Amino acid sequence: MTPPDAGDWPPADGPLDEADLEILAGIRDLFQAADPMPDDLPERIRFSLALRDLEIEVARLAAEEDQQLLAVRGPEQSRTITFDSDSLTIMIRIDQNRDGTARVDGWLAPPQCREIELKTTGGALDAASDSQGRFAFASVPQGTAQLIVRPAEQGAGGSGRSVVTPALIL
Amino acid sequence: MSVENCKPATVPGSRPGAPDGPDRAARIASLMTAAADGSEEALGQIVTELTPLLWQVARAAGLTPADAEDVLQTVWLRLLSHLDGIRSPSSLTAWLVITTKREAWRVRGTGRRNVPADQDWLAALPDQGPGSEDQVIVDDQRRALWAAIGRLDQRCQELLRIIAFVPRPDYAAVAAKLGMRPGSVGPTRGRCLAKLRALLAGGPEGSLA
Repeated sequence: MTPPDAGDWPPADGPLDEADLEILAGIRDLFQAADPMPDDLPERIRFSLALRDLEIEVARLAAEEDQQLLAVRGPEQSRTITFDSDSLTIMIRIDQNRDGTARVDGWLAPPQCREIELKTTGGALDAASDSQGRFAFASVPQGTAQLIVRPAEQGAGGSGRSVVTPALIL
Repeated sequence: MSVENCKPATVPGSRPGAPDGPDRAARIASLMTAAADGSEEALGQIVTELTPLLWQVARAAGLTPADAEDVLQTVWLRLLSHLDGIRSPSSLTAWLVITTKREAWRVRGTGRRNVPADQDWLAALPDQGPGSEDQVIVDDQRRALWAAIGRLDQRCQELLRIIAFVPRPDYAAVAAKLGMRPGSVGPTRGRCLAKLRALLAGGPEGSLA
């Protein structure tokens, strides 16, 4: 498709000039004001990148469901989140404890025994999944947390890499 | 004045997308090397520098703020296993931009959350704060620019929004990844910027549609 004759306007195949750069700077300022990145995002990303090794398998957020339980039991909230990586599906359910901490129940599919770390801003919590793939963290401080499923034992057919989720806000 | 340890923690003009001299390339290159060797601090500085650009990429692709945050985490996590293979600051920026776009498509494809059909950011011109006399002129220019952007097609809006945040030395590498033809001597204006300039100059609307 040939663009219509643009008359005297600068041509699309011309080199970038000062006016172009000024316009781009203007666009940048506008979008910075209209839709700024959340201030704490780089920090959350830095938290999730603080890992023991760089060779990891990334588990993507695949589904998230918030369930505001009915008033019968007070304003309790339960969230179910599913992550998918190449080799694993991780599903977790987050419930609020009365003392302000959170309880995290998780399932690995396919089911398997793995060491699992929940990294929080207050340090790392450790658990292990059973042969059904179940694991639990009974009391997790509120805040940012990230799940790391440690590599399966050598020779168990595992990829030898940790499976890592994005950081969540509990 | 002692120049010992005077390597600045934040480089002047390291505003996202701000034009930066050759210093930036050298600084990012050494951060990349350190990050590939496992330095969390070096990687963190790269994150701080480039996440504002990637935020715009994710939002321009139509993601909600929550999805954009998740996608950016995924992109940075994925980078960990690719750090070794990325050779230059320009290819790093290009890799991050295109990976963010791909991850954004992926999320939109699954429709795991409601994605607004329309871009919401064009609803209102962002506030500029208290106005002075000079401000009135600047304000008119901003208004004109905002209106002109709103009249571009969606693809151009997205492209210009991204390019505006790309550090100038990385422009050519990113533009090429986004499907813009590079010129023989350097980056060209491109169809979208040419159109925008015509609109700003009061070009005939009809012929630009």
